[in-house]
Amino acid sequence: MRIFLEQMLNGLTIGSFYALIALGYSMVYGVMKLINFAHGDLFALGSYLGFTLLVWGNAYVTSHVGLAGGMIAAMLIAAIGIGIAGIIIERIAYRPIYSVGRLPAVVSALGVSIFLENIIMVIWGPRYQAYPVSVVPTLRFEIGGIHVTLLQIVILILSFVLLAVLYYIIQKTTFGAAIRASALDRDTAALMGINIETIIFFIFALGPALGGTAGVMVGMYYRQISFTMGWNYGLKAFTATILGGIGNIPGAMLGGLLLGVFEMLGSAYISTAYKDVFVFLILILVLIFRPRGLLGEKVAEKV
Amino acid sequence: MKRIKFLLFVSVLVLALGVASLGVMAADKPPVVIGLQGPITGAWAYEGEMAKQCCEIAAQLINESGGILGGRMVEVRIADDACEPKAGALAAMKLISQKDVVASVSTYGSSVCEPASNLYEKFKKVNIAYGATAVRLTERGLKYYFRTCGRDDSQGIFFAEYVPRVFGAKRIAIMHDNTTFALGVAEETKKALQPKVDAGEVEIVYYDAITPGEKDFSVPLTKVRETHPDVLYFTGYYPEAALIVSQARDIGIDCPFVGGNAAINDEFVKIAGIEKAKGCFMTQEPMPAELPYPESKVFLDAYKAKYGEIPSSPWPVYAADALNIIAYAIDKTGSTDSDVLAEYLRNEVDGVPGVTGKIGFTENGDREGVPYLMYVVNEEGNFEVYKK
Repeated sequence: MRIFLEQMLNGLTIGSFYALIALGYSMVYGVMKLINFAHGDLFALGSYLGFTLLVWGNAYVTSHVGLAGGMIAAMLIAAIGIGIAGIIIERIAYRPIYSVGRLPAVVSALGVSIFLENIIMVIWGPRYQAYPVSVVPTLRFEIGGIHVTLLQIVILILSFVLLAVLYYIIQKTTFGAAIRASALDRDTAALMGINIETIIFFIFALGPALGGTAGVMVGMYYRQISFTMGWNYGLKAFTATILGGIGNIPGAMLGGLLLGVFEMLGSAYISTAYKDVFVFLILILVLIFRPRGLLGEKVAEKV
Repeated sequence: MKRIKFLLFVSVLVLALGVASLGVMAADKPPVVIGLQGPITGAWAYEGEMAKQCCEIAAQLINESGGILGGRMVEVRIADDACEPKAGALAAMKLISQKDVVASVSTYGSSVCEPASNLYEKFKKVNIAYGATAVRLTERGLKYYFRTCGRDDSQGIFFAEYVPRVFGAKRIAIMHDNTTFALGVAEETKKALQPKVDAGEVEIVYYDAITPGEKDFSVPLTKVRETHPDVLYFTGYYPEAALIVSQARDIGIDCPFVGGNAAINDEFVKIAGIEKAKGCFMTQEPMPAELPYPESKVFLDAYKAKYGEIPSSPWPVYAADALNIIAYAIDKTGSTDSDVLAEYLRNEVDGVPGVTGKIGFTENGDREGVPYLMYVVNEEGNFEVYKK
């Protein structure tokens, strides 16, 4: 039981990373019907941005703002930076070829992904980088035999707050309704007076910003980052998106959390070596038996 | 016609000169030439440079004490392989084609050593590697191939002997990453621990692989924790090792962590952070400065006298021992014939004192009983020999 709870906690932690990244995929797909394969690398870029900020601001953080301040500042700046990067990528790599169709855009996304991965390698080098210990909370404690780190709790709380805020924006505000409407049917939404350009701008800023925040969290959690990390996280978050129902925001959150927990429990109780197998087995099973995902609405095929 | 006469004259002259010079050399007793193939240029040039210096010092020491075969001097002849397999084959051919080169010290990199040693084998020339530690090299059944350095997995044998004795560890957890190297070390450790397991002295409580490139080890580490180990041995590489140590401490594994020689380095300390890295152990070949034998002292003193400082890597001194053992075998057998030498090295050489300890070879041509030391990360994040 103790081990089960511990693994649940670990699963929720990595699940919240997946959920944050998955939101970016889902929002973009919802409105654009485009799988933004560069999203994983934007996440990695966020991780490196946070790394650089914390290395530069190391002394300032420890002497002035404290760990919590440094952490939030790093996440905020990374979020803003990656949000801007997202907008730029949309302008340069996607907008010019929308009119051609969806497939060229996907190819373009793959190109951006390769470009970003290599740009990270060129700037920060091919070796592993490590978040400095002095700017990451290292406190750990035991509650009823369960080993927990302070960082884990902070990450869980922060990501749940982020998820809740986003959920509120999407489900309860007029602007959120506009996004959902555009996801349902872009042309009709435009006819109803929704400015699609604004919506696209917003999702291409917000999705990557969340991914960038997750990047800083992952960097702090494992403290070790590499320029290839984006691909793996991207793929898993994409799986989470499919699991929850692509284009569906609460679905992406649920899918991410579920996937994290599946991954952890599967490797704990069945086999560690097959950890990634569980993840992609879920992807295959969902695609076979419930292609619209857990929360996805059944959409009639447009003819 | 005149032209032919001239040519004839020249050839006779050359021949005469050749015979004359041969006569002079015979009177002086020709040197015994031993080849050294190493990375004199390229990315590993510093290794090659130090190996060259080590061989020259070893030859110098032999010559100062009167040479071998009743007063013949030992001469080192260099061939550069740049630590590239292709260049390695050329370097090997260069040494093979020189008929006065009796045997060869060859070479540093495993991937270079493999094709080179095949050539030496084909042309029947004894070759002794000094830095090529890949396990497979001595498992090809070569007759003329030996090595004075250890194998990648020989640190497992050291671990199995040292840790139960010095740490008093009874419950041992072994973790590897399924790469050839790490699995080899782990398997060798398990094999070497087996007699103690049978005797009920120790128990291998955990033996499993993690996935290289993985970042989250909470699941395997939880399993490790539930077995309550006295020591955790990870035989893989530093990116995972640093995360494993860090996450192990977070979930409450407080037992000593021992890494193989690929697990602990400066990057490890950087990633794990000094708080968690300090006190971690490493099974590693001794650095030259820590070699405890009287022969090492004589050798390193001579080296320092000539080059100012002692070699900064564990490997070059094995080149000195490779040269030493070749010279020793030539002297003892009184022969420079490859078959005689190979036979002698394989079957007769046993416990010959060398710079890196006693030298002997197994049936495969591996070094017997290679020395290893237990290093520990100290408060400053540097490595020092662990003294209990």
